[in-house]
Amino acid sequence: MSLKSYLDLYTLLQTDKSSREERRAFSLSQITEKHRPIDQLLSWVKNHQYRLKKPKLSETLSSYLYTMTLTLVVIAIITGILSGIALLSYNGHEPVNVVYFMAMVIALPLVTMTLTLFSMFRAQSTQSVLVHISPSYWMEKVFKLFSDKKYNSLETLKINPLLSNWIVIKRAQCIALFFSLGLLLSLLAVVATKDIAFAWSTTLQVTPESFYNFLNTLAFPWKEWIPAAIPSFELIEQSQYFRLGDKLSEEMIANASQLGEWWKFLTLATLFYAILLRVLMYIIASLGLRYALKRSFLTLENVSTLLRDMNEPVISTHALTPEKHFVSHTENEVQSLCHLHASYDMLQGWAIPQDQLRVMSDSMQVISPNLFEVGGGNSLQEDSEIISKSHGEVLLYVKAWEPPTMDFMDYLEELIQIADKVIVYPVGAASKGYSTEPKFIAIWVKKLTLFKHEKVCLLDSNYKAVDA
Amino acid sequence: MHSHIYKHPRFAVVGHPNKGKSSIVSALALDDSVQISDTPGTTSKKRSFPLKVDGKTLYELIDTPGFQRARRVLAWLEQHEVSADKKHEIVSAFIDEHREDARFNDEIELLEPIMDGAGIIYVVDGSKPYGEEYEAEMEVLRWTGQPSMALINHIDDDDYSQEWKRALGQYFKMVRTFNPMQTNMDQHISILESMAQLREEWIKPVKASIKLFERYQEQKLEQSSQMITRLIADGLNHVEKLTLLDNEILDIPKEKIETNYKEKLRHLELDVQKNIESVWDHAHLHKEQTTLTFEDLDLFSEEAASVFGLTRKELIITGVTSGAVTGAGIDLLFAGHTLLLGGAIGGLVGAAGAYFGFDELSDIKVLGQTVGKRTLVMGPMKNRNFPYILLGRAIFYTSKTANRSHASRNVADFKMDSTFKEKWLDEGLRKSLEACHKKFRSGSALQPEVSEEYAQLIKKVLVKLIK
Repeated sequence: MSLKSYLDLYTLLQTDKSSREERRAFSLSQITEKHRPIDQLLSWVKNHQYRLKKPKLSETLSSYLYTMTLTLVVIAIITGILSGIALLSYNGHEPVNVVYFMAMVIALPLVTMTLTLFSMFRAQSTQSVLVHISPSYWMEKVFKLFSDKKYNSLETLKINPLLSNWIVIKRAQCIALFFSLGLLLSLLAVVATKDIAFAWSTTLQVTPESFYNFLNTLAFPWKEWIPAAIPSFELIEQSQYFRLGDKLSEEMIANASQLGEWWKFLTLATLFYAILLRVLMYIIASLGLRYALKRSFLTLENVSTLLRDMNEPVISTHALTPEKHFVSHTENEVQSLCHLHASYDMLQGWAIPQDQLRVMSDSMQVISPNLFEVGGGNSLQEDSEIISKSHGEVLLYVKAWEPPTMDFMDYLEELIQIADKVIVYPVGAASKGYSTEPKFIAIWVKKLTLFKHEKVCLLDSNYKAVDA
Repeated sequence: MHSHIYKHPRFAVVGHPNKGKSSIVSALALDDSVQISDTPGTTSKKRSFPLKVDGKTLYELIDTPGFQRARRVLAWLEQHEVSADKKHEIVSAFIDEHREDARFNDEIELLEPIMDGAGIIYVVDGSKPYGEEYEAEMEVLRWTGQPSMALINHIDDDDYSQEWKRALGQYFKMVRTFNPMQTNMDQHISILESMAQLREEWIKPVKASIKLFERYQEQKLEQSSQMITRLIADGLNHVEKLTLLDNEILDIPKEKIETNYKEKLRHLELDVQKNIESVWDHAHLHKEQTTLTFEDLDLFSEEAASVFGLTRKELIITGVTSGAVTGAGIDLLFAGHTLLLGGAIGGLVGAAGAYFGFDELSDIKVLGQTVGKRTLVMGPMKNRNFPYILLGRAIFYTSKTANRSHASRNVADFKMDSTFKEKWLDEGLRKSLEACHKKFRSGSALQPEVSEEYAQLIKKVLVKLIK
């Protein structure tokens, strides 16, 4: 898990068009990583690397971060060396006040590290002031103005604020570390090449005793190991310096060789407070960045969908093939409609039993000497016999709600060979007074329009029909 | 005849034309792409709907055309006098002999899967009277010797199911009622359980399918709640930027950025609606949708605020509660030495924020004036009622979509219900939601735990609303 893999995932997810099935198939091939989302995502990124366009966003950002960090580190180490030289500059007239150097290697690191700790707790925030005041943040903004145009693509990059904040925090530790190394280098170099008289001086009312106690407290980490690196009470007493008067005190001159002993304390203080603790902060920042990366991996847009697609079984209930679109063939010419007359040569009911047919014709005041049930429970042979008996005008009742089957159409075709006219009459259920809904009539009209025969006409149960 | 060996259960849905076979298949297969119409013969070819899990078929539903010449088929079969154990061979012989005969196209299409081992699901319309013409169909099916059950569908309001049950009981060992237009998960599972009973060896795979359907439903609920969570978080955090031209007067760009800001939020909502449709297998949903969502009820309209959002009073109560909780934290920190002023002040601040932030959307700020390049910025959303409006609408849309039958081909009607809010939002939930909204608004990166917590709250609501 690295920033590079995060950015590769970010880029891939923005352009990924893989189907759910493909994602699931990939996941099933990586059985060992099941239920380890980060590993799954990393495998997925690795597997899809080929789809990333060159130059990769991750490479561009890595190169940018490397260049930017290197520039800032070089500046930091140079600044550290120059600051050290300036703090330790000794003209031979006045001793070097160790308090300045101590402030730079003890107080400043402790203050900045405390602020860093606070910024670590606030790293979630998009508008973290503590992060934004960090030199590594604003120095980057300044240098960005002069950066290569190839980094313009990074303008559109939207990375998780948690992650970007941790990048800034980690880089700030790196810069501070190199600044401190610069200070240490300058201290060692100056001590090795010059004879420096160190002293301590402050406007505050600090007695040598309390200063001794204070230094002893500061030196607690190495007190047991390197006692020589703690200034003795005598040294502190001897090296207290007051600016009044332009000459060094007699005592200081007499103990000139002793005054240089301060360098050991300053070196150890730099090593511990400015370097060791900063290394510790750097490690914490690295762990924080790792944590942020992990969080960012899982909060990246579309990651939850990708993980779900990989881990949930693909359940499909749909048809495998698309359905052929049904086209209803309707002719412009509409099936002829006709009125209901009082009598017919024959009454037939398609799948309507004879007794029901009789009741129906009575209620409609239609008379006929011949009533027959056709279709329905009849055999084909029985139907043929009824057809052979048919003649003249035949009123053929049909159940309106039952759509005309091909069985009916076969019968009708045979019937019109014998009969002079067939009036197809779709009727509703008896409970509804035989009236029916227009949607059912429409189906019959459609079917008979397709059949289109001059001997056939349709009768609407609403009696609004016209003669054919 | 080519006989196939299928390891999984198969069910052929057969019956008279226009009795709702495709509707039943559509509802059971959760597929809203099946052509359903009043016109007989809409289904002219058999069509398979397998339930697949990671490519493995657990069972298969087959939609078939309706019987057209059942009496002729039966007449042909009855010409052959054979014992009961040989009857299925005669049906196979019929298929072989008439494969090229256009007259029996539909019969071949529906008999073929049955003769390949599919169980029979015979569909009738229980809202229409029973008729003798069905007997030839049922007799033909009996000749196939395959396990069968009947489903009484109710296309219209009338009920003739008793006479149907008496008739069907003579031909099928199981008769069930199923209305594909009003189905829910329990009914769906109940029908699958009945189907499993058709053959002993089908019990296990169909039971596994039932478990999968339940998991599938769970997946849909999880996906929907995650989508809604993302919508709310994105909606609250969205920031619209507009670069100003030199010396441009602010009035026009202010109007423009507000329009762009609202448009962006509307698009977020529409995208989620589209995804919700897809999650609930309603990709072919027909709806009367203009540029505004829910027809006349725009996301930013006052009506939407009153129907979906909280009233000013509810919002103030929520503000007081959340402010007081924060203040009480401070009191606790000082072990009560603050004389509980923290809670009181927190409550007041919360109430004031809710009161004044009721109508306000977000500040419009001008950034970078001193640098020279000016940018107008709008967002993140300040209005405390907005997340409730957005959430209410998303929940409403999801529940409507999820409860819609896959057999329905009507234009979806997303009519508002003024009591909808009462169905899902209570005081406890409002408090929990407000705590999450506060975190969403904090400007911090979206924390997985918070979004997970929010998604869980929404899922509970959806479970309650979705049948």
